[in-house]
Amino acid sequence: MAELNLHAALPEIWVAVSAMVLLLVGAYTGDRAMRLIGLLSMLVMGVAIVAMLGIDVSTVPQLAFNGHFIVDRFAVFAKVLALIAAMASVWMSFSYAEREGMARFELPLLMLLATLGMMLMISANDLISLYVGLELQSLALYVTAAIRRDTVKSTEAGLKYFVLGALSSGMLLYGASMIYGFVGTVSFAGLSTALSGATEPSLGLIVGLVFLCAGLAFKISAVPFHMWTPDVYEGAPTPITAFFSAAPKVAAIALFTRVLVDAFGGLTPQWQQIIFAVSVASMLLGAFAAIGQRNIKRLMAYSSIGNIGYALVGLAAGTPQGVSGLLFYMAVYVPMTLGSFAVILAMRQKGQMVEEIADLSGLAKSQPWLAHIFAAILFSMAGIPPLVGFFGKWMVFAAAVNQGLYVLAVIGVVASVVSAYYYVRVIKVMYFDEAVTAFDRVDGSLKLVLASSLAVVVIGILFINPLQNSAIAAAASLFPE
Amino acid sequence: MNELLREYLPVLIFIIVAAGLSGIMVIASLVLARQKPDSEKLSPYECGFEAFDDARRQFDVRFYLVSILFIIFDLEVAFLFPWAVSLSNIGMFGFWSMMIFLGVLTIGFIYEWKKGALEWE
Amino acid sequence: MWEITLTHYLTVAAILFTIGVFGIFLNRKNVIIILMSVELILLSVNINLVAFSSFLGDMVGQVFAMLVLTVAAAEAAIGLAILVVYFRNRGSIAVEDLNVMKG
Repeated sequence: MAELNLHAALPEIWVAVSAMVLLLVGAYTGDRAMRLIGLLSMLVMGVAIVAMLGIDVSTVPQLAFNGHFIVDRFAVFAKVLALIAAMASVWMSFSYAEREGMARFELPLLMLLATLGMMLMISANDLISLYVGLELQSLALYVTAAIRRDTVKSTEAGLKYFVLGALSSGMLLYGASMIYGFVGTVSFAGLSTALSGATEPSLGLIVGLVFLCAGLAFKISAVPFHMWTPDVYEGAPTPITAFFSAAPKVAAIALFTRVLVDAFGGLTPQWQQIIFAVSVASMLLGAFAAIGQRNIKRLMAYSSIGNIGYALVGLAAGTPQGVSGLLFYMAVYVPMTLGSFAVILAMRQKGQMVEEIADLSGLAKSQPWLAHIFAAILFSMAGIPPLVGFFGKWMVFAAAVNQGLYVLAVIGVVASVVSAYYYVRVIKVMYFDEAVTAFDRVDGSLKLVLASSLAVVVIGILFINPLQNSAIAAAASLFPE
Repeated sequence: MNELLREYLPVLIFIIVAAGLSGIMVIASLVLARQKPDSEKLSPYECGFEAFDDARRQFDVRFYLVSILFIIFDLEVAFLFPWAVSLSNIGMFGFWSMMIFLGVLTIGFIYEWKKGALEWE
Repeated sequence: MWEITLTHYLTVAAILFTIGVFGIFLNRKNVIIILMSVELILLSVNINLVAFSSFLGDMVGQVFAMLVLTVAAAEAAIGLAILVVYFRNRGSIAVEDLNVMKG
C-alpha cells in the first residue's frame, strides 16, 4: 500500500465525493436547488484548486495509485486553469438556465463531473487512466450538450457530439491497443523507457501512435477532425458552449502534450510531422472558414479551431520552450474565450437570445461598455499588441522559429492576419453599423466575468513574467533533465 | 486419467446438487400448490411481447429506458467476478475498494430511484 | 492443421474496426446503426487487447478490456438516451434528418 499515495489525488477524491453528495442533495430537493448546487459546485472546485496548490511538487512529481496517476507542475498548472474555466462557466450558466427553462440541478453537477474527468486526464500517467478520464469528461459533456431536451437544436448537437466523440474514442482506443501490443506496456514511464532506444520503431507502433493522435485531435477539435465543432457550438446552449470552448480544450491539449512529450519522447520526429500538419491545417481553416460565418457562435467555433492550431505550434516545436508557450497560450486563451461568450450571453433582445453577428450592430451606441470590452477581447484574440493575445502567439511562434520551423511560424502569422480580418469585421459591426434593437440589461453575474476578462486582456501585460515563469517551470517537469 | 477426473469431482457434485434442488422445487410446487392454469399463465411470457409475432413492430419507448438503466448495472457486475475469484489474494484493501465501487453504484441507484426513472407509469 | 496465431486475431480485429468505421460514414439510414458500429469498433479493440494480453502473457490487457467493456456500456446508454430525446423532438432518427444545423 506504500505506493497508493492517496494525498496526491486528494483534490480529485474531494471533487468525486462532493459530486456524489451534491447529487443526493439534488435528488432529494429537486430542481429548485439548482442555484445552490451550482454555487456549491463552484465552491468544491475552488477548494480543489487550493488543495492542488498544497501538494508539494516543487522537486519531484508525486505518483499515486501505483504510478497510474501523476501530479507534477505541468499537471497543477493545467488543472488550475481548467478548474478556473469550469468555475466561470458554471457561474455564467445560472441566469441563462433559469431564463431558458433548463434549470435542472444536474447541469452544474454534470459540469463538475466533466471537470473531474478533465483533472484525471491531465494527471493520467498510463493509457488506461487516460481512457477512463477522457470518457468521464466526454460522457458528461455529451449530456450537457443535449441538456435542453425540449429543443431540436440542443439534442441534435448532443447527438452529433456523441456520435463523433464515440468514434474518436474508438480510434484512440484502437491506437492504445496497438501501442500496448507492440511495446508491451501501457504506462507512460514504461513507454518512454522502451522507446528511448535508438532502434527503428515497429510499424504497428506507428499505426498505434497515428490512431492515438487522431483520437486526441478529435477532442481538441483540430483539423481534419474538427467537423463536429461548429454544429455542436451552435446547437448547445450558450453557457455550455462557453464551457466546451475553454475547460475541455485545456485538459485535452494538456493530455495530448503529456502523451507525446512524456510517453513518446523517443518518437519525436515521427509525431512532429503529424502535429505540424494538423497545426497548419487548423490555423488556416480557422482563419478562412470563419470569414463567411454569420452566426457568432459558429464564428467562435472556427476561432477556437484556429486557436488550437496556434497552441499546437508550440507542441510541434517539441521543446520545453514550445510546451511552455503552449501553456501560456492556453492560459491567455481561456479568459479571452470566456469573455467572448459572456458577451454572447448578453446578446438578448426583448428577452430572446440572438446569435447573429448582425444583431451586434450599433452596440457601441446602445451599450458602449459591452462594445468596448468585446472589442478589447477581439483585438487580443487577433494578436494586436500590447494585449495579452499577442504575447501568447509570440511565445509559440518564437519556439517554432528556434527549432527551425520557419514555415510553421510564417503560416501562423499569415493565418493571424486573416483571422484579424473577421475579428475586426465584428468590431466594425459594433461601432459603425446602424443600431437595430438595443440589447436587454446585462446580468450582474455576466458583468463579473466581463470585468475579469477585460482585466486579464488589458492589465495582463503586467503579469506576463510570473505567468511565463510558471509555464516554463510546468513545461520543464515534462522533460527529463 | 484418474487424477484428471478427480479434479472435476466438485463440478459433478455441483451438477447433482443443482439438478436435485431444481427437481425438488418443481415437484414440490406440483404437489403443494394449487394449479389453476389459464391461457395467459401458460404463455411463455406473462407480460411484454407476444412470443410469436412480427419482430419489426414498434414498441414502447419505456422498454428502452429500462434497458438503458439495466445495462449499466448489469455490466458493472463484470468487475465483481474477478474480484470474487481473487479476493483471497487482495486482502482488506481489495475488499474495501469494491465496497467503495458498490457505494458509488448505490448512489447512482438512489438518484434514479428518486427521479422516478423506475416507475412504469 | 491450421494454427491460430496473433496475426489472425489482429486481422479479425482490424476488419471489425474497418467495418465499424465504414458503418458510421457510409450509413445513410439510421442512427441506431451508428451506435451499433461504435460498439463494433470498441469490441474490435477488445479483441486486440485480449489477444495481445494472451500473447504477451501480461494481465494488463485484460484489465484494460474489462474497463473498455464497462465504459462502452455507459457510452451506449448515454447514446441511446440522447437518441430517445432527439426522437421525441424530431420524430425521426434518420441520419439525413440530422440537418437543422449545417455549415
